[in-house]
Amino acid sequence: MKNTGILFFPAFDWSLGETHPEREERLLYTQEQLFEEGILDLPQIKQFAPGMAPLTKALLAQAVFPSPEHHDLDAHLIAAGSTLILGDALAKGQIQNGFALVRPPGHHAGATVLGNRGFCTLNNEAILVNHLRAEYGYQRIAIVDTDVHHGDGTQDIFYHDPNVLFISLHQDGRTLYPGSGFVEEKGGPNAWGMNVDIPLPPGTGDEGILYALEEWVLPRLQAFKPDIVINSAGQDNHFTDPLASMNVSARGYGRITERLKPDLAVLEGGYSIEDALPYVNLAILLALAGEDYSGVVEAKRPTRPEVPLSQIKPYIQELKREYDQVQANWLWRAEASLPGGYWAYIPRTIYYDTEGFQEMRYDRVRQCSHCGGTVYIESRRPPFHTRHALVRVPFAACPECRQAGYDLWEYLIGRMESVTFQDQPGNVVQFWHISKGVKVFGPSDPRP
Amino acid sequence: MSQVGIDVGGTFTDAVLLTEGVITKKTKVPTQENLLLTLLNALDQLDVAGKELEHITVSTTLVTNGILQRRLPEGKVYLLPGSGMKMESFAWPIPYEVLSGEIDYRGREVVQPNDLEWYRAAQQWKKERESNLVTIVGKFSHRNKIHEERLATVFRQADPQAHIALGHDWGQANFYRRSLTAYLNLTSTELFTQFASGLEQAVAQRGIRAPIMVLKADGGVLPLSRIRPVETVYSGPAASVLGAMAQTDASSFVVVDIGGTTTDLGIVLSNSPLLSSRGAQIGPFATLVRSLAVRSVPVGGDSAVIRQGKELSLARYRLGPAFCLGGPVPTPTDAMCYLGLVPFGDRQKAGAALASLMQPQELAQTAQHILQMVAERIAQEIESLEKEWREEPAYKIWGVLHPHEALQLHVWASGGCASGLKTYLEERLHTKVRIGRYPEVSNAIGAALARPTFSCTLHLDTVLRRFRIEETGEQGIWEGSKRPHLEVDTFLEQVALRLAAAQGIDLRDAQKEEFDFFPIVQEFKTVGQIVRGALHVPPGVRGRIS
Ligand SMILES: [Zn+2]
Ligand SMILES: [Zn+2]
Repeated sequence: MKNTGILFFPAFDWSLGETHPEREERLLYTQEQLFEEGILDLPQIKQFAPGMAPLTKALLAQAVFPSPEHHDLDAHLIAAGSTLILGDALAKGQIQNGFALVRPPGHHAGATVLGNRGFCTLNNEAILVNHLRAEYGYQRIAIVDTDVHHGDGTQDIFYHDPNVLFISLHQDGRTLYPGSGFVEEKGGPNAWGMNVDIPLPPGTGDEGILYALEEWVLPRLQAFKPDIVINSAGQDNHFTDPLASMNVSARGYGRITERLKPDLAVLEGGYSIEDALPYVNLAILLALAGEDYSGVVEAKRPTRPEVPLSQIKPYIQELKREYDQVQANWLWRAEASLPGGYWAYIPRTIYYDTEGFQEMRYDRVRQCSHCGGTVYIESRRPPFHTRHALVRVPFAACPECRQAGYDLWEYLIGRMESVTFQDQPGNVVQFWHISKGVKVFGPSDPRP
Repeated sequence: MSQVGIDVGGTFTDAVLLTEGVITKKTKVPTQENLLLTLLNALDQLDVAGKELEHITVSTTLVTNGILQRRLPEGKVYLLPGSGMKMESFAWPIPYEVLSGEIDYRGREVVQPNDLEWYRAAQQWKKERESNLVTIVGKFSHRNKIHEERLATVFRQADPQAHIALGHDWGQANFYRRSLTAYLNLTSTELFTQFASGLEQAVAQRGIRAPIMVLKADGGVLPLSRIRPVETVYSGPAASVLGAMAQTDASSFVVVDIGGTTTDLGIVLSNSPLLSSRGAQIGPFATLVRSLAVRSVPVGGDSAVIRQGKELSLARYRLGPAFCLGGPVPTPTDAMCYLGLVPFGDRQKAGAALASLMQPQELAQTAQHILQMVAERIAQEIESLEKEWREEPAYKIWGVLHPHEALQLHVWASGGCASGLKTYLEERLHTKVRIGRYPEVSNAIGAALARPTFSCTLHLDTVLRRFRIEETGEQGIWEGSKRPHLEVDTFLEQVALRLAAAQGIDLRDAQKEEFDFFPIVQEFKTVGQIVRGALHVPPGVRGRIS
C-alpha cells in the first residue's frame, strides 16, 4: 500500500473542437468509473485540487512565440499547474507517488511553441521536471513515456540535458504520428545516450511491451539511478485505441506501472474514450496505490492480431544492438556571431498538425565537457520572415556556458522579433519583444 | 403561529417554543435511555398540550446511536460488483455475498446474470435466513437498475414477505457507499418506524395536531412519515449551524458550538451552510447521506485535564461535570470559573482543582494555559475545515479561474461556556468571536426554524435515451431530442416540480446549477449528448430570532 496522490482535472468545459478526440467527453467515463468504484475512499489515496501554473514555470522549460499572450494558455497552464501541485506534494513527502490525471496533454509540445501540435501546447512533464530541479534541487530525473506516440516534444526539450534521461516506448514512427523516435536519436552531443527511443511494431501487446521494459528500460534506469522517475502515462497503446494499432490491455498498463514504479504518472494521450480510458486509468491508479488491479477487465475483448512474444523478443534485441552501435557524428564549428567555443549546428523542421504549418528550427549547442552546454535555438514560421530565439543556460551550467548564454542574449536583443532567455540555474526567465521590451519572470511570481 | 424545536443531545435535550420569532418558553431536560420519554418530557415542560402549533421539529440521535451501538437487526446483503476494483480493497463492516451480472458506466449490460446462481441464492436465503431484510446493490445500478430489480423479483418469488432495499434508490455514484447506505437505511427502518408512531400517538394524546418534522444531516426537515431513517443521522451539528443562522444577521461565519465533551464546527457562506463534498461517515459505515460540512472536535468544557510530568494535556473524554460543579477532576470549566469568565461554579473549588495540577502561585497562569490549549485545538480544526473548503476539487477551467476567495470569517460561538473561551479564540484566530443571546438552546432554535431542503439532480444520456434522478433513484426513458437545449431545462423543472409537490416544498427559492453538456462522438460524428444539471433549495432558516 502506498500513499498515492491523485489530481483529477478532466477540464469538462474545454475541447479542441466538438468532435475532436481532445473533447469534454474524454474523461467523463473515467470519472464515472473512479467515482463508482469509490477509489477516493481508499485510505491511502489523497485527492488534490487543481491549480494554475505561473507562466514563469512554463517558460523555464519552453519558449512561447511570438509571445505568450499570443496564445490562449489557460487550460494548458491548469494541466501543468496541477502536475506541479502533485510534484510539490511528492517533494514534501505528503505522498509516496501520484497520478496527474489531467487534460490537455503535453508530450508533443517542444522547446519552442508556435501553436498546438499533437493536441499539446505546454509540456506538463517538462515543466514539472524543471520545477522540481529549481525548487527542490533534484538532479537526476528520468522520464519514461509509455504513450503510443513518440514523446517528441519532451525529447526536444531535454535533448541536450545530460541530467534528464528520456525513454520513449511507442508505435514505430513509420506507421504513426509524429513519425519520429528511432534508435538513432540518442541525445545531443553533450547528452549522448540520455535519449532512448524504442519503436515497437503495430500489434505489440502486454507481453511485448513488458519485455521491452524488463530487458531494456529498467536496466537503463537502474544504471542511471534517477532521483525521481516520471511516467508520461498515455493510454493509446490500448487494443481499442482509434488512432493507433497496438494491443495493450488495462491490466497490461497496471503491470507496466507496477514494474516501472513511477514517482509521478502524468496522463498523456489515449482516445478510446469509452472502451479503454475508464479501465486503464483505474488500473494505473490501483497499481500506484499498491492495490490489486487484476479484476479490471474491459467490456470489449481485443480483436487486433497480436504480434507474438517470440517475434517481439528478437526484434527488441536487434533494436537494442542497433542502439548500442549508433555513433555520434556532430559537425562542430566556431561561429563569428556566437560566443567563443565550438557549436554543433542541428537544423530541423517541426510540423504543427493542429493548424497545419511548419516551423523552421536552427538549433545550436555549445560543446562542453563540464555541463549540458549553452543552447541557442532560432525559430521561424515560413512564409513569415520574422525570427525568434531561445537561449538556454542549462541547470548546473559551467561558468563559461553561463557567460556564453548571457552574451548571446544581449547580442540577440534587437536582432529578432522576440527572444526568450532561460536562466535555469538562476530560476529566472527573461523575455524580450521588439515592441514590448524586456519582461522578467522571476521565481517569486505568485501562483495565481 | 408557534413552532417547537427539540434537540436531543448526548447529556441534555433542549427545547424551545417560538412565537413570531420570539422565544416564549425554553427548557432543558436530561436525555434518558428512552428517547420517546425524553421528547415527551421536553414537550410537557414547554406546556404546549392542546396548543395550536405550526410544527414540531426534532433532531434525534436515534438512528446514529442505533448504528454506532450496533443495535440494528441484521440482514443479508447481495452485491453485484462485476469487474473493477477488488471487493477486498475496502473494509466492509458487514458480511455480503457476491452474485453475477455487470453493468457499465453508461448503464449498459456487460455481463448477463447467471439465472441459476441467482435462483439458488434466493432459495438458500429462504432456508437459512434470520430476518426478512435483504439489501441488493449492483455496481453502476444508479445508471441502470435492471439487475437489482430482477434479483429482487427472484427473492420475492422465493418469499413474498422479503423486505428488500435496492441500491439505486440512492442514486449517487459510489458502489461501496451506496451498498452501506441502502443497508443501514433498511435495517434502521423498523426502529425508526416504531419511534415515529410512538411519538405521533403521544403528541396526538396531548391534543396537538401540528405535523412532526425531523431534522436531517443536511440541515433540511421532512415530515416524520416521509423521511428515510438513515438521513436523520448527525442532525445535531446541523441544528447548531442553523441555530447560529437564526440568531445573527451576518451572512458568512464559522459556527463553534462548545459542548461538554465535544465542540461542533460548521461554516456558513452567503447565508447557506457549507455542504460536505462526501457523504456522512457513521462509525465504520461510509454513506451517501448528504450532510453539512461539520466537524466534531473531542474537546469541551468538561474535558478532563491531565498532568503528565510537567505537561498538561486535554483528555478526549469526560469523567463528569467540572470540579467546581461537583465533578471529580479539573476541567476547562474550572479554569473559566477561576478566572471569572463564566457566571457559574464554586470559585474555591475551581482553585482547588487547578492547584491539584500546578503550584498554588501559578493558578491564574495554569487556568489561562488550559484555555489556550482548548482554543488551540478548536482553532486547528477550524483552519482545516476552511482549508478543505478552499481546496475543494474543481473539474472545470471555470472553477479554477474562479477559486473560493480566502475569507476572513468571524466566529459565532454557542454552548454553555462559549463566553469563557471568547477572548482565547479571538487571540488565537485573530478574528472576532460573537456569542448569541441563547447559547444554551441554540440547537433547539435551529431545529424549530430549519426549512426544508430540496435537490433534484438530472443525468441524461440522449444516445441511450435514459434519464436518472439522483435523489430519488428514478430512472426513465428520455423521449426528447438527441441534442436538447431548452428542452432539458423544462424537463428538469417539471421533474423537480413533481417531486417538490409530493414533499410539500416550495421551489421559489430554488437555485439552478449550470448545465454540463457533453457531446458524445462516435466515428467522428456527434450522435447525442450526456447532460448533467441540478436544482437545489439549500439549507437555511425560515426566520430569525428577535
Ligand atoms: Zn499519444
Ligand atoms: Zn559548460
